[in-house]
Amino acid sequence: MKFEIELSSAEGKKKHIVELAQINGMHSVIIDGRLLDADAIQVSPNTVSVILGGQSFEINLSRSAGGKLKLQCGPHEYSAEVMDPRAWRGRNLGALEVAGRQEILAPMPGKVVRLLVAAGDAVESGQGLLVVEAMKMQNEIRSPKSGKVERLLAKEGQNVNAGEVLAWVD
Amino acid sequence: MFKKILIANRGEIAVRVLRACRELGIQTVAVYSEVDRASLHVRLAAEAYPIGPAASRDSYLRIDKLMDVAKKSGCDALHPGYGFLAENPALPRACADSGVTFIGPSAEAMEAMGSKTAGKQLARRAEVPTVPGTSEPIEKPEEAQELARSMDYPIVLKAIAGGGGKGMRVVPNDTAFASAWRDAASEALNAFGDPRVFVEKYLPAPRHIEIQIFADSHGRCVSLGERECSIQRRHQKVVEEAPSTVITPDLRRKMGEAAVRLARAGGYVNAGTVEFLVDADLNFYFLEVNTRLQVEHPVTEQVTGLDLVKLQIAIAAGHRLPFAWESITPRGHAMEVRLYAEDPDNNFFPSPGKILARHAPTGPGIRLDEGVYEGWTVPMDYDPLLSKLIAWGNSREETISRLRRALNEYSITGIRTNVGLFRRILSDQEFLRGEIHTNWLDELLARPRPPAPEPHPGTEEAALIAAAVWHSANANGHVPASTDANVGPSRWKMDGRLRQMDHMP
Repeated sequence: MKFEIELSSAEGKKKHIVELAQINGMHSVIIDGRLLDADAIQVSPNTVSVILGGQSFEINLSRSAGGKLKLQCGPHEYSAEVMDPRAWRGRNLGALEVAGRQEILAPMPGKVVRLLVAAGDAVESGQGLLVVEAMKMQNEIRSPKSGKVERLLAKEGQNVNAGEVLAWVD
Repeated sequence: MFKKILIANRGEIAVRVLRACRELGIQTVAVYSEVDRASLHVRLAAEAYPIGPAASRDSYLRIDKLMDVAKKSGCDALHPGYGFLAENPALPRACADSGVTFIGPSAEAMEAMGSKTAGKQLARRAEVPTVPGTSEPIEKPEEAQELARSMDYPIVLKAIAGGGGKGMRVVPNDTAFASAWRDAASEALNAFGDPRVFVEKYLPAPRHIEIQIFADSHGRCVSLGERECSIQRRHQKVVEEAPSTVITPDLRRKMGEAAVRLARAGGYVNAGTVEFLVDADLNFYFLEVNTRLQVEHPVTEQVTGLDLVKLQIAIAAGHRLPFAWESITPRGHAMEVRLYAEDPDNNFFPSPGKILARHAPTGPGIRLDEGVYEGWTVPMDYDPLLSKLIAWGNSREETISRLRRALNEYSITGIRTNVGLFRRILSDQEFLRGEIHTNWLDELLARPRPPAPEPHPGTEEAALIAAAVWHSANANGHVPASTDANVGPSRWKMDGRLRQMDHMP
């Protein structure tokens, strides 16, 4: 699997291409085109042990509120933004679910062409709520969180303005 | 001996007391506020009862609720820990009314010694040297300012009911007096419900050295030696050690005798700490008495081999002090650092939150007193003390290297901690030489931070690999499943479900 990772430290930030491959069950790693003698395992939910050219590193990872990865290696701290070319949803990937009641706003002026849920329905994060057509494109508006559709304000066939509240999910 | 003890506290000290009870074969009763249901002290206790909402004034400070629990559960004694009600004479009084033994001094001894002014008056009567200043609270700021001028600046304003640096202000000159007075009084009112302050001469660069005393109800009173607590940030201790690098056997004896004299004069029974300031010429001045167990008591335990909590319980049960000596000589060296959930890069603001991962150090000469565990959410409602990491060894050097080693092993993910601060302190040349005083840490923090050590070659690549591996295993369900054997279900989804469960009534 191939990742584009932007790594930031106190010194600055830089993008790298990291490729993980499996050879005989072992991780083989290519960073920016260089094949490295590396072995990595996730030893606990938030810790990865990396042996790189015989040197042993232990890295603790967690999500920051912004969805970036926070990495700690002893006294050294990094933050990383991981972009996975195979995931079509790109940068939102892996962002933490938002908390609290969410207003679902119309992202652009258009027409509500289809409701995919009803008020009171339970929805998963990323599940489509309704479809808004604008500039001849149908856009599925998705739920930012798992929860319940508290109110559905939009009606099929209705014209909406950008920023208009379409639904509440809690 | 007691059958069942109510532990009227939370966090690491509740766990510490609970462990002592277990070793003595005494039943334990914990109390908890709404946000402490999942706390370690509740999990470890044999019985546990809720005492109200998160705010401590509605829970841990409610004497009536504690007494209800004591009666309901049939406790015959209560241990107050430190903080909360530990130095409030109303608690031992309420205990006496309910027929529950309070593990600590009497209400009268607390009153005679606990407040800073009362303690100072007692010290003068017992011929224990004190810092020049008033021992009476001063009601009018004009009066206090007059006095400050006559004593020569700098002076320090301190809350009558104070502790932990709250309601305390150093006043460098006359122009700063009025605002310092307002700050001290309002802080004291907020922290202790008592705005009264007094004035004291400010000693530049003193050491804070305290004597642990123990008195039984049969007239024995002994000193267990000193603790050096000069490493403080804004009057809050962060590193403590024993013995002090400046205390000679002769001075130890003199300070110990002074502390014992004071305790006798106040009719003190049980564990107490007499705090002194020691100036550059090794003159010592009485500061205040803490009529309770101290946060830093493990330091004394490690150099004396005694269990102070078990001693407290035994003395409260009427036992005699088991020593054949009046003061003791410490063996080896011990040092404690206080790990707080706070962010050193953001002005040490508290950093509550969920502990996602944690690796606790072990090994020779290491002790960890704590009330936390992986998966626990540090509440925002209380003191952010997470753990006390204590090291001991044959010498100060060995102790410091053990502590450094243990700090390197210690990792906690999900919240910010002040671990980095200790890395800096424990490698500072002045600290290593023992050249410290109560302003030393604030001065150190005001200096530009030394450049961080260069990461080991490969650290950045290792971080990149870790990010990729972790991402492929934990991404939010959008990444096609990998064939890697280490990949489990999305932990983020699981985490969300667990969190919802946390909120179930």
